[in-house]
Amino acid sequence: MCGLAGIVRPAAEGVPVSEDALMRMARSLRHRGPDGFGLLLDEGAGLVSSRLAIFDLHRGWQPLVSPANDSAFVYNGEVYNHPELRAELTAAGEQFATTSDTEVVHRMLEREGLDALDRFNGQFAFAWWQPRHRRITLVRDRFGVRPLHFAHLPDGSLAFGSEAKALFASGEISAQADLDGIDDVFTLWGARPPRTAFAGVRQVPAGGVVIWEQGQIVAERRWWKPRYGEDPIAQEEDLEALLRDSVRLRLRADVPVGTYLSGGLDSSLLTALAQEETEGELRTFSVAFRDRRYDERAQQEQVAAAIGTRHVVVEVGASDIAGAFPEAVDHAETPLIRTAPAPLLLLARAVREHGITVVATGEGADELFLGYDLFKEVELRTLARSDPRRAEALLDEVYSYLGSAARRGPAFRRFVLETGADDVLLGSHLTRVQATATVKSLYDPGVREAAGERSLERLRAELPAGFSGWKQLDKASFLEVSTLLETYLLAAQGDRVAMASGVEGRYPFLDHRVFAHAAGLPAGMKLDGLEDKRPLRSLAARVLPESIASRPKQPYRAPEVAPFFEAGAPAWVEESLAPESLAATGIWDAGRVEGLIRRCRAGRAEGVREGMALVGVLSTQLWHRAFIGSAARTYPKETTEPRVRIDRTLKLSTRKAR
Amino acid sequence: MTQNSEVVRREMRAFIEENFLYLQPDLKLSDEQDLLAHGVVDSLGFVELVEEVQGRFGITVEDVEVTEENFGSIDAIVAFVHRKRAG
Repeated sequence: MCGLAGIVRPAAEGVPVSEDALMRMARSLRHRGPDGFGLLLDEGAGLVSSRLAIFDLHRGWQPLVSPANDSAFVYNGEVYNHPELRAELTAAGEQFATTSDTEVVHRMLEREGLDALDRFNGQFAFAWWQPRHRRITLVRDRFGVRPLHFAHLPDGSLAFGSEAKALFASGEISAQADLDGIDDVFTLWGARPPRTAFAGVRQVPAGGVVIWEQGQIVAERRWWKPRYGEDPIAQEEDLEALLRDSVRLRLRADVPVGTYLSGGLDSSLLTALAQEETEGELRTFSVAFRDRRYDERAQQEQVAAAIGTRHVVVEVGASDIAGAFPEAVDHAETPLIRTAPAPLLLLARAVREHGITVVATGEGADELFLGYDLFKEVELRTLARSDPRRAEALLDEVYSYLGSAARRGPAFRRFVLETGADDVLLGSHLTRVQATATVKSLYDPGVREAAGERSLERLRAELPAGFSGWKQLDKASFLEVSTLLETYLLAAQGDRVAMASGVEGRYPFLDHRVFAHAAGLPAGMKLDGLEDKRPLRSLAARVLPESIASRPKQPYRAPEVAPFFEAGAPAWVEESLAPESLAATGIWDAGRVEGLIRRCRAGRAEGVREGMALVGVLSTQLWHRAFIGSAARTYPKETTEPRVRIDRTLKLSTRKAR
Repeated sequence: MTQNSEVVRREMRAFIEENFLYLQPDLKLSDEQDLLAHGVVDSLGFVELVEEVQGRFGITVEDVEVTEENFGSIDAIVAFVHRKRAG
């Protein structure tokens, strides 16, 4: 796991790529790879890597150069089946200088081109430089676990990097806000790739490939797309065997691997399977909240005891969240609508302090096996057409954790059962969109007019061909995977806050074989009435105590208003919300925000919508101050800088045709 | 309506303006306007409204009384409080 970056020019002659610029890019990503920097300079091109050593700790340096000296490669991630691929290649006569997966991936690409991607089981982002064609190929894994950003510059050059901050560190592009990207955040929780919150900075989408040649982007396509629909072959696969194999592969590392344990079904199942595959004691980690309304400590400790792991609880209070929030925004590089990334940033820091750099975690299970309440709402909206009373009763059951249904009155039922009922494309997600939209009510009127409904219009326009004919729950799952999972859960709440401390998250439920199996099952086998994730529960019943296997979903949430309005809240909160600060950012209507602040100060803003609105405003202010409204950051050489390997002016061969 | 009802009306309007209308400052809310249909209150806002009526006017609202008929507009709230006090 690493950070990668680079710059390529349209021609070998002309403006060279600056070594200083490349080193600034590497330093900006040092949190992703604290173990070493590697730099390669070619004519009109340069690649850098900041490395977190997981495989072949002593030799796995990057950038890698092919044996024929005709291509170079920087890579962030893991291809878990690399030993099997290496064996195939060795049998075919290939020789390797390292035992790292990086070399296997590079060699596969050299031999098979992008067809090799289908063979990779893992999570990765890479840049593959082929100077003979002056071509760079940027690729991202199927679900977008690992990030990859790029900017096509006015002179045709391409700058790229794991994170946007590497692009800004290059000095070749400055940070500007992209209103459409920001509005995506306040509609769908994250900017939908290729868009980002920055103008001119794009992301390679999940399962995407971007090819640049001689100054032009010549291809942008998906090498993998999530496919849904009942598939008899996929159904025949044995979920237990698939998941066990996925876990086994994701425990491969030359360093110890731990797991995150939320206390819910998915992480418990994953941890139980991981323990069975682990020789000795498995390390598990969880966040606990001082505020008992959010705390799942008892469940977490019960699971750890039942499985027999060595468990560490990281207790987080309101002041911890407020303290870590600016750092979480800085790593996420986007406005946020939840504080939830901040506790996970603190958790990853603790994991690192305990000497663990790789953790397996349960993301993806709810999306694939229909665990979220949102999927149940889809079913209840259908039921409400024929039996509204029954639908209301079941709805009250789904949301029993919110307190007395009767006290919530008619508004809640009407909101859930009617919102989106007539929208055949996005109906499943309009309750979330509407709940999130409170933050948009705080927009400056000009911003509100400019943003309009364009975020949803773009989403509608980019749905797969034939989407309207898909089954309801397949549509909902697809939307969840391609909006919330990709743009938020795996990014701001996943890679970014873990890699802030150089901790790599691994996702066994996002093995593409597990996905194909889940997507090929009839929806009724996954969600029947209110009984969700049925195949996982069935498997869990065989490996976990019954009380854990049947545990209902509890959404992971963190306190949202209290951290910023309790006594002793950091001074930046008040500064950020001052009318002149709001005016400088240019997104918010100061008068409306003042109304929200009054409610927060009075302790009245206890609802989800106002919590999201406050976090939206605060994070936008922090994000703007960190990236847009201040001078570009400098990344001087550090006294504690890790070892740097530099291949100066390698002059990669452009003659040898392959 | 009695003078007391006018107090209820004035106080509830002030409460709604202070706590909900900051999101829609351009909305000219009339007393008979549907609070839910106009998005003035959402489901949590509805709960807050009920609790405010209980606390502010010292009445007990039964679960079966948490309806749009009783809380759907300022007029509805005024009439509900009047009935409860009379009752």
